[in-house]
Amino acid sequence: MIKTFFGTGTLDTSAAFLAALIIGVFFGVALERAGFGSSRKLTGVFYFEDMAVIKVMFSALITAMLGLAYFQALGFIGPDELYFMPTIYGAQIMGGLIFGVGFVMGGWCPGTAAVGLASGKLDALIFLGGAILGSIGFNELFPVVRPLYTWGSRGVVFIYQTLNLSQGSFALIFTLIAVACFWGVEFLEGQRGKATPKGYGKFLTSVSVGLVVLAMGFTLLPGTPLPSGGRASGEESILAQVEGGRDHFEPEELADRLMRGEPNLLVVDIRPPGEYQSFHILGAVNIPLSKMPKELAPYKNRGVIVLYSNGMTHPAQARDSLYRQGYGNVYLLTDGLKGFMERCLKPVSLRSEPLSPEVAARVRAWRAYFIQAAQVPAAAAMVAPPSDQLPEPLPGLVDPPWLARHLGQPWLKIIDLRSQPEYNSIHIPGSLRLDVESLRGLVNGVPSMLLPPALLAGQFSLLGIHPTDLLVFVSGGKFHDGTLAGMACERLGHRRYAILQGGMGAWLAAKQPLDARLPRVVPSRYPVSSKDDFTVDYQRVLKAMQEKTTIILDVRPADYYHGKKTDEARAGHIPVAINRPYTEDLVKAEQQVRLKPVKELAGAYEKTISSRDTPVIVHCRTGHQASQTFFVLKRLLGYKNVYYYDAGWTEWAARLELPVAPMMNK
Amino acid sequence: MKSENYMNPYLAGIFLGLVLLASFLILGAGLGASGGLARIGAALEAAVAPQHTQASAYFGSWGPNYLSYYLVFMLLGIFLGGLVSALTAKRLHLTVERGQASDIKLRMVYALIGGLLVGFASRLAQGCTSGQALTGGAMLLSGSLAFMVSLFASGYAVAKFFRGQWHD
Repeated sequence: MIKTFFGTGTLDTSAAFLAALIIGVFFGVALERAGFGSSRKLTGVFYFEDMAVIKVMFSALITAMLGLAYFQALGFIGPDELYFMPTIYGAQIMGGLIFGVGFVMGGWCPGTAAVGLASGKLDALIFLGGAILGSIGFNELFPVVRPLYTWGSRGVVFIYQTLNLSQGSFALIFTLIAVACFWGVEFLEGQRGKATPKGYGKFLTSVSVGLVVLAMGFTLLPGTPLPSGGRASGEESILAQVEGGRDHFEPEELADRLMRGEPNLLVVDIRPPGEYQSFHILGAVNIPLSKMPKELAPYKNRGVIVLYSNGMTHPAQARDSLYRQGYGNVYLLTDGLKGFMERCLKPVSLRSEPLSPEVAARVRAWRAYFIQAAQVPAAAAMVAPPSDQLPEPLPGLVDPPWLARHLGQPWLKIIDLRSQPEYNSIHIPGSLRLDVESLRGLVNGVPSMLLPPALLAGQFSLLGIHPTDLLVFVSGGKFHDGTLAGMACERLGHRRYAILQGGMGAWLAAKQPLDARLPRVVPSRYPVSSKDDFTVDYQRVLKAMQEKTTIILDVRPADYYHGKKTDEARAGHIPVAINRPYTEDLVKAEQQVRLKPVKELAGAYEKTISSRDTPVIVHCRTGHQASQTFFVLKRLLGYKNVYYYDAGWTEWAARLELPVAPMMNK
Repeated sequence: MKSENYMNPYLAGIFLGLVLLASFLILGAGLGASGGLARIGAALEAAVAPQHTQASAYFGSWGPNYLSYYLVFMLLGIFLGGLVSALTAKRLHLTVERGQASDIKLRMVYALIGGLLVGFASRLAQGCTSGQALTGGAMLLSGSLAFMVSLFASGYAVAKFFRGQWHD
């Protein structure tokens, strides 16, 4: 593994300065040899007279891109060893537009002007003087420019993420575009009668082939890991502010961010443990000064670290020390804990200055969160959601924007049902993982049955779920994981649950915040009660089959229904059962599995089921797929009498006395 | 004394790409030039008005040792490398580069205003052709590529207005 100066936080040492100087020398030689010590040659690109800028710049870019990609993909260098600049669209697009005008006018850019000066060009000297003055002008105008400087801040974003491509395929496309450009500009120059030295065409051909082969080879390698915290938004805008000298964090902002439960925010109380225990800002961790370098190391230049003590002196000293150790993400809480108490937690009634209703409401919200929660943790954990914030109807579906708006609410529990490695590598901030298989087990000799209420309540308790919480289930590729977890809620009578439409795929596509850290969970005691009046056994199904007033829906794939395939004792289906594969209710697009729009689903089921009062029994093989049809019919379409034959085809096929269609003659 | 020919542009490009790659692997950061210039600007401003500079919102966060920054040394390296290369290729001539039929004052005014714009824009975008377009482009960063596209778009859009300095 390569360790870089940046990665080890030693970019400000004399060794790094020497390395930068040497790299600069090679950079200067490369620019000079390419002919970039001439402003005429540089600006030639804008008049289609000399396209060297395109040729040199893109061959350099592609070479370095492929080189870096290979080094990363082969594991020689980790993502945290590299400084990835944040994307700030507004500032970078505006900057680019102004830069282009300056480049054409001045004939230089900063690096080439330095080489131009070394070649004796006096216009380069003037240009450099102008650029230095321009930088000073920026500093003077910074208070005015600041909004633009952070406008459109997106954090570290890679173009292939923005375009929803894999790194390898984007790199290949980019390489092909560059090579096409090379041949295009050569053709253009040829038209203008520019002579080329002998062997020039051959060299270009081998460069083109070499780069394309390298790019194709890269597509065969696994993608490179992303920088930690790099995909989360929010903290980069503050990092940009620190560059602008804002190393203070205002108490109001800290309070809001803590209440929102923002990921990547580490609040450190640097007072002695005794003082910390008697009172601290909810969510803060206690790290005494002496232990700080060791304990903060994992957060170095990742996310935002806010230090506080009673006053400002100690945190400022700690910050300076950390800054010298290469931390660029350390902030001080303005006026310390005193300021926080005074500005956020002082009751409205005790304040001498008049407060607007909005500010008074914020103060009450902060007090409710930080004081009540600190004193009565159990009560805080059982905050009921305000009714106007709940999605309609419940149980139902929510979309990523809704969920993103409510991240961090104490009454919201996000439950991620994907596989453990998927969850462990990245998940919705604060979400908890649950394996839906832990909700099922052997009951009455039938495998894969939804567990009895007491065991389900036990699982809910481990997740720290309270009966008032809103649960949002997030699935990966199987939408019916969410509905199976929903069946557990139904059995316990927990009606406040919703399923994220499109699952994790939709969340990723919406570019919402992500986190890799595990949440803190305080186990609860979920009360045991059964509200299950919907699960039916085979006798009830048999009766329904004979009476023919109940519709039996077999939601397995058609091949299983028709007996062409089976994983069970017998093949086929329950006589009179109608096949409506659960997949018919889904649309798959772009790594997302979504339920079809409610209108479409309503239309489809109206054809089979005459009225909303008609009794319907849904079943599949194990109860997994049928849970989805149950959810669709009962919760989305409002069918009143929907029943769930959980044991399903597993049991029916194994009870040889039960009839099966079609009759198989062996 | 005849100057040497320039290097084959693709060979020069690959060479430059390998220098950039070395910078990634050694420094952990890419190439940059405008950062060094801005540091020099901050040091100059501090020499004239130390307290004002220290209190300013942008340069203030860099102080008080404005020049102890790796990009300042890289800029120095670029100059030295350029000097060695220009000397050995016999390309060091004291001159103002312009079209033969163009006014020298016009060229100088354009160079100054262009420099002002580039200096300002580099701070706004947090980098220039080296630090954003080339380095960020090789890292495939969305913002850096947006910078590069914007740069060429506006360059081509206004190029004809400034052609006067290159009339032969």
